[in-house]
Amino acid sequence: MPIARCELCWVEGRNALKPDPIDDLLAKAANRPPDDAALAAGVRRAQDAILGDLRRVRPLGSVTRSALLFLIVFALAAMVAGVLLGPHGFHVLSVVDRALIFATLLVVAVVASVASARSMRPAAGPKRGSDAFLLAAIGFPLLFALLFRGYSTIHLVHEGIPCLVAGVCVALPTGLLLLLLLRRGSVLDRSEAALACGTLAGLAGLAMLEIHCPNLKAIHVIVWHVAVVVVSAVLAWVIARFVSRSSVQ
Amino acid sequence: MRPVHAGSRSKLYADRLPGTILQEPPHLSAASSRDPASLPDLESLMCGYQQADEAAARVFIERVSPVLLRYFLVQPLNRRFADDLMQETWMRIHKARHTWRRGEPVLPWIFAIARHTSLDSYRKSRRVETREIQVEVMPEPPASTSSGDTADLDTLLAALPASQREVVLLLKVSGLSVDEVARATASTAGAVRQKAHRAYRTLRTLLGRREKRVEA
Repeated sequence: MPIARCELCWVEGRNALKPDPIDDLLAKAANRPPDDAALAAGVRRAQDAILGDLRRVRPLGSVTRSALLFLIVFALAAMVAGVLLGPHGFHVLSVVDRALIFATLLVVAVVASVASARSMRPAAGPKRGSDAFLLAAIGFPLLFALLFRGYSTIHLVHEGIPCLVAGVCVALPTGLLLLLLLRRGSVLDRSEAALACGTLAGLAGLAMLEIHCPNLKAIHVIVWHVAVVVVSAVLAWVIARFVSRSSVQ
Repeated sequence: MRPVHAGSRSKLYADRLPGTILQEPPHLSAASSRDPASLPDLESLMCGYQQADEAAARVFIERVSPVLLRYFLVQPLNRRFADDLMQETWMRIHKARHTWRRGEPVLPWIFAIARHTSLDSYRKSRRVETREIQVEVMPEPPASTSSGDTADLDTLLAALPASQREVVLLLKVSGLSVDEVARATASTAGAVRQKAHRAYRTLRTLLGRREKRVEA
């Protein structure tokens, strides 16, 4: 009699080809039919509830399309706000600085957009909201430390607060727009979705500051510009946790 | 050999053969005593459900409910509320039905929703338990209805961390493939393999110890 090949043979090595008592136990659980009466009643209840409210729905677009929409909202919010406030920062940056900063912004924004788009639908792949947040929170300080000089703390708070406020003021409406997009899908993990969208909204604030703010002191950019992303993401995460807890109760 | 149609339920089980321990559950086999090739597959039923086809929705619910109920019944924490959890999952599936796209596997999508329903239920019961007031005389617990095998399985699975337990149950009881489990748990195939490997190692150690005890 041929020995049955176990699905877990890739993890079990040659032992997997032996009949396994664990497999027997699990197979018994798998093949045990549920109680017929309970199942029939459950099916009837589900059918009654669902068939009474059956309406045609249009399937949501692909993850790529949704991610593109998120990315467009991010880019529009950053550019419109940056241009409206005046692109003073963009003019003082060198070509290399511009290329590196905006390319990095685009890369992190793509990661956050894909994470947001994935969180809109069940079983859409690994969630990357926390990855996008960590990438932004660690990557940008490193990049700014490489590009800029100046660690004097004189006027640090005085010069920084307006940047933080302006960044958060851009991040908030961007976050609300992203939330509208997010609501078109069905979010299972609110915290993860909020972290992804909060990071993306914060990145819009950061991009606006890079276009607008002419202060190129490393300490200012690292502390106050990056803080916009952190504040936005953490705020979104906290609100999502609160909403989740309330809805579970 | 009978041809297997892509995406059909027959394929859902057939692609795990030969060698998987999972066989088509008896109640499903009984329900499908007709030629399995003539049965509509889950994907076309889901499409019909999205298009408000009542017959398709009805068959879809009949087809998926046993799988969902078993998923909840096999988890000790959810067993008591399995019926309610199945209903709650169906409500969520109904609300989220527009998020499924043709060409994507249906079962991982369903199990992702079921998994979150189960998690929310667990959180809710935890929260309620912390606010409960202990009564002086505890009521008699209901007599256990679980068989010896279920108790064995429960004892063994209780030793596993929740994430490993979930992977083993989805792989071996619900019958999903590694890629499908990865989709359902928002993880990667590598992570699923690693969890399954660790779970099997732990289970094998526990079984080995138990056998030694019995021999002694």
